[in-house]
Amino acid sequence: MQEDVVSIVAPVSAPVAYGRQNALARWWSRPRNRELLMALLYSSPALIIFFLFTYFPFVRAIWLSLNITNQRGEPAAFNGLGYYLRVLSLDGSGRTDYLQSIGTSFQFTLMVVPTVIIIAVGLAVLAATRVRGIQFFRLIFTSSIAISLASAGVIWSLIYNPSSGATRWVVELLNLGVPGVLNSNLTTIPAVAVMSVWSALGFNFIIALAGLQAIPEDLYESASIDGAGGWHKFRFITLPLLSPTLLFLVIIGTIGALQAFTQFHLLIPDSPNTVFIYETFRAFWYDNRYGLASAMSIIVFIILITLTIIQYRTLDQRVHYQ
Amino acid sequence: MIDTADRRERPPVPHSLPYNTMVYALLIIAAIVLMSPLLFALSISVQGPTMDPRFIPRDLTTLDFAIFARVFEDEPIISRWILNSFVVASGVTLGVVVTSALFAYVLAYFSFPGKALLLFVALGSLMVPFEATLIPNYLLVASWGWTNSYQGLILPFIASGFGIFLMRQYFLTLPRELYDAALVDGCSRFRYLWMILLPLSRPAIATLAVYTFLSTWNQFYWPLLVTSATEWRTTQVGITIFRNFEGGVVYNTQMAATLIVMLPTLVLLVLGQRQLVSGLTSGALKG
Repeated sequence: MQEDVVSIVAPVSAPVAYGRQNALARWWSRPRNRELLMALLYSSPALIIFFLFTYFPFVRAIWLSLNITNQRGEPAAFNGLGYYLRVLSLDGSGRTDYLQSIGTSFQFTLMVVPTVIIIAVGLAVLAATRVRGIQFFRLIFTSSIAISLASAGVIWSLIYNPSSGATRWVVELLNLGVPGVLNSNLTTIPAVAVMSVWSALGFNFIIALAGLQAIPEDLYESASIDGAGGWHKFRFITLPLLSPTLLFLVIIGTIGALQAFTQFHLLIPDSPNTVFIYETFRAFWYDNRYGLASAMSIIVFIILITLTIIQYRTLDQRVHYQ
Repeated sequence: MIDTADRRERPPVPHSLPYNTMVYALLIIAAIVLMSPLLFALSISVQGPTMDPRFIPRDLTTLDFAIFARVFEDEPIISRWILNSFVVASGVTLGVVVTSALFAYVLAYFSFPGKALLLFVALGSLMVPFEATLIPNYLLVASWGWTNSYQGLILPFIASGFGIFLMRQYFLTLPRELYDAALVDGCSRFRYLWMILLPLSRPAIATLAVYTFLSTWNQFYWPLLVTSATEWRTTQVGITIFRNFEGGVVYNTQMAATLIVMLPTLVLLVLGQRQLVSGLTSGALKG
């Protein structure tokens, strides 16, 4: 029925339709437009994923953080900045637990980052010597790159087991009075830090080695002619020329250490003293407080974005150095 | 094996005997200290199901190296975890390479209004850390019923701002004249990408693929959230839940399984070192 009507009307509307088709054909015949369409087509897979799994959830996290949520993660009541004030203990309740865990995060970072960089530079200086078979040692020093935090966590939780010899020795040495280093407030965070240092060493080593190898050899040669000893060469040639690399490692390491999750989940899941990322996980996963946990994750975002901006700034400067 | 500097390294130089002895002594000590957690894991695996394992086994004659084969019979689920990890890591790697190459092709060769915006969207994704999107992503994936599924483990990760940036930078080093000439000769845009650009970009693709495979294989947080059924766990989550079995941990099995799931990435490190290192060093630029 409907089709009949259309066929009757058709002669009248035909010119309009033709006109439209022509416009479309004309649009398509322009290479510029064809290029635009193909550009959208080719970029759409990544664009869809970015919007679905990065931008949309990010906006949703901000919205959730401003609301009290129900058990299914839907906003139930607007809460404004309530959760942010609660986390930063500006809500007047005097509860500083979350603020303390932010402190613990930075404490952990301060333990890991300088330690791993100092050891990595030491190893890199050692591995930069050109002796036979050095490649084999370099491979060993790099190997922790390929070892996941989960594997490392499983192995180290057994090393830290109260029955392990090394752990018993540390417990007796420090006179902890509790079994195992993971059960004493004094040693939990340092124990996780030691494991994290081991885990991050491969990456820091390879970057430090690359930095060392980029230093021109003749600088050392002329310093030797001038009578400089090993320490002087390290202090006045290696360190200054390595400083951009070290700066890079400090920033990357800080961002990484602040995001550490796996090792805390595997080594000290029940510890009352833990890092902010892990408190976020507890609020989200065990307590289902999606609003609060979202506010915490946005605070993590603000801390990390600040560091990232600093990173890009300093990397720009690094380019000018060379 | 590891050639980190761009220039070729000079050959070994002869040193005095005391110097060499000292260097080797330090290298060997450092290597042993660094490897000790792995040696510890190896030692525990071969000591049998004892509840009191030692770093240095008490009886070196009864070491049980068959554990590495037997672990697959004792815990058949490990095979499934390894399969899951392979499917997920391969799927994400393939997805990242495809979406990055297509997107980077547009950025490097096409010209149209609003291209800067596209670059901004890709690089902007690097500014949003995983933690900031985690909760809504979990809620979304759970609401679609995608927990305990390959799509839930793979799809959120098949676009990478880092991958796009890496491919774009590589495409820009190739001569633009080649593209213009091919198009004048009637080559279609897709054909140019497929037949010329991608084969030329093998080094960049290898870097991206090795880096993506390794980091996906080693993922822990996301698989922990979106898998709850034992058969859907990936290796990384799987090896950790051994600990939670009632009646204590069977240390030797757990350590053997941990060493086994480490193998693919260790092999990748030995074979694809150059790619991995360049991927890690440029990937680390991501916040």
